[in-house]
Amino acid sequence: MLRTKVSSLSFALGLPLATCSFALWAEESYTIILKNHLFTPAHVEVPANRKVKLIIENQDPQVEEFDSFDLNREKVLFPNRKSVIYIGPLAPGEYSFFGEFSPNTAQGIVIVKEPNNAS
Amino acid sequence: MRNNVLLALLVSFFWIVAFSAKADGMVVDKVYHPYVMPLERELEWRLLSRQTEQGNVLAQRLGLGWSLTETMTIEGYAIGERDDEGNFDLAAYELESRWQFVEQGRFWADIGMLFELEKRHKFDAYEATAGFLFEKEFGRTSLTMNAFLVREWGKDIEDEWESEFRAQLRYRLYSAFQPAIEVYVGEDFFGVGPGFIGLHRFEGQKQLKWEAGFISEISQSGKDHSFRLALEFEF
Repeated sequence: MLRTKVSSLSFALGLPLATCSFALWAEESYTIILKNHLFTPAHVEVPANRKVKLIIENQDPQVEEFDSFDLNREKVLFPNRKSVIYIGPLAPGEYSFFGEFSPNTAQGIVIVKEPNNAS
Repeated sequence: MRNNVLLALLVSFFWIVAFSAKADGMVVDKVYHPYVMPLERELEWRLLSRQTEQGNVLAQRLGLGWSLTETMTIEGYAIGERDDEGNFDLAAYELESRWQFVEQGRFWADIGMLFELEKRHKFDAYEATAGFLFEKEFGRTSLTMNAFLVREWGKDIEDEWESEFRAQLRYRLYSAFQPAIEVYVGEDFFGVGPGFIGLHRFEGQKQLKWEAGFISEISQSGKDHSFRLALEFEF
């Protein structure tokens, strides 16, 4: 019983130390403009295995909602405001996103490449 | 650095609750995610059927929720249960609030909080719950954990503190079908079993989410299986 409690306590105390070792790192940021229900650029290249920041500026007068099952992100984009979406670290590949209110026009792809292949 | 220390303390809290959870009644319910969508309203229906050697317990709840701010949502529920004589009737009502603390993906993990206040319909019995919601992504897999402290009081209920732990490991296979493993821990209860989550999008913000799980209690020798189903229409 005592052994179980000691193990639980060590686990409880050990995990935070491991958590602390994941220090914050400076994220690269990529700006996307939403205007006339179009994302520009529609293709964004980001490095693999790094956390990056998408800054989306909604220049339309309407609310839009960024949605991506691939990126596991949903975010309301208020008009005339910059919204920040943190993504990654991601494996190389293509991750699509779209605007829920204009799904036929507001579309884009995040292209994740190994750092030496990213432009 | 300060955020990471706070996160580390919260993770400790989750593990301490997980290893010492004590809650009677129905522990299997729903694993909450620490996210709030602004401008969203939600209509929710949940069903829980628990089969033990003493018989079947059936509970359903209907809820209506909406976001109050960009990071806070509130939801009211009416809870119906089948009584000992087999009659299904209103049993309780509940008010629930969820807060999203950090932007999704900004830190090592995402954290939120949940507060609930429940009143039994025909009894002087209250239950207040406060707890942390945690989610961490590993590629296409997401680990979600809930740790709750519960206080029960009233003339018709024993005053006591309880704790609960819930966890869900979900693989985002397809939008409509995301298999999961769920764990629920309470007093003399350690339940584990498969589940799945899915959603279908309609126009704009409208979408229907579904969740189901089949949880078996494994720490006792008797029969104790729970089936849970939840439908959420967001609009």
